[in-house]
Amino acid sequence: MRCLSIEQIYLYLEKELSPAEDRKIHKHLAACPKCKKAVEERRLLLQAAESLPLWKTPPDFAQQVMARIFPERVSPLAWLGAAASGFASMILAIVIFALVTGQSLSSLLFNIYHTGLEFLKNLSPLLVKILKVASLLVKILQQLGELLIKGLTLLTTIISPQVQIILILVAIVFIASSIYGIRRKLFIGEKA
Amino acid sequence: MIEDKNLVEKALQGEKKAFEMIIQKYQQPLLNYIGRMVGERELALDFTQEVFIKTYSSLHSYKPQFKFSTWLFRIASNFIIDYWRKKKIDAFSIDHQKNMDKDLPPIQVPANEESIVNKFETVQLREKIERALERIPGSLREVFVWRHINELSYEEIAEIKGLPTGTVKNRVFQAKELIRILLEETP
Repeated sequence: MRCLSIEQIYLYLEKELSPAEDRKIHKHLAACPKCKKAVEERRLLLQAAESLPLWKTPPDFAQQVMARIFPERVSPLAWLGAAASGFASMILAIVIFALVTGQSLSSLLFNIYHTGLEFLKNLSPLLVKILKVASLLVKILQQLGELLIKGLTLLTTIISPQVQIILILVAIVFIASSIYGIRRKLFIGEKA
Repeated sequence: MIEDKNLVEKALQGEKKAFEMIIQKYQQPLLNYIGRMVGERELALDFTQEVFIKTYSSLHSYKPQFKFSTWLFRIASNFIIDYWRKKKIDAFSIDHQKNMDKDLPPIQVPANEESIVNKFETVQLREKIERALERIPGSLREVFVWRHINELSYEEIAEIKGLPTGTVKNRVFQAKELIRILLEETP
């Protein structure tokens, strides 16, 4: 028998050969020190590869995956319970505050009610204004965007690419100089 | 021990515990495969979770004539391929080059082959193998990990990748020899 190929060595080591081939190799190895050394070398290499340290999962790994697959839904009853306990703690805090400060409970409740109402009165017009401005801004930006797209589409159909490049460059210069002018004006304003 | 097919059936019927048992059975092998493919523990743990979630959501498409483990590893393998494609990392090269699978003439043992195992201590040798494993192409690394770390048979690997067993054997062989060559080059 000829000397073993490296592939044959691996298949022999992994017992992937037929019994007849296996016997032949076994016989050859008894007579060939070079192949015997090569087999031994690869046997040890495979042993080292097969005993590489294993990566371990954390102990709660399966639970973590299950929690992602089946996220726990909070029942309406649990929500009600949470709201009730929140309300009860608030009442308790008010009673304790009344006891500590010596204020009567009715006047304390009246003060809380009054302050809360004032706060809401001040806050609500501000919120309404913010919402109005935001919706107006969104509308303007939307219309501007549409106009810009329409304009650009029209331009690309009528004007040649060379002119388009020149126009884009002019626009960039114009925008840059405008920004510079605004910044300069603001700076002068600050100085003054 | 309940068979995988029964566990899948029970999970499909809504038994959460059955799928949890599948996770417990395969978390370690899957992490060892994914870990060796991405190299980072946290990322590997995250990907292992994602693969289980993907597996659960496509459980209805599992065909019982195939082994569950090979189906699971196929999902994991596709997940890794997608990840590397999105990251545009060429070094992974999981798309095995066609010419690499060609039948090459048998390589004979060189006359004066350097001994690798005598060069390093066992612990050191394991570390060197890990480092070499990171450097070989993904398509070879993948089959090497399945064969020698996950201890899958060549037939199982062939089923996962949808390749002939001979091609898989050839790739595993190439992976081992490449690791050996890299170890030879290591000072």
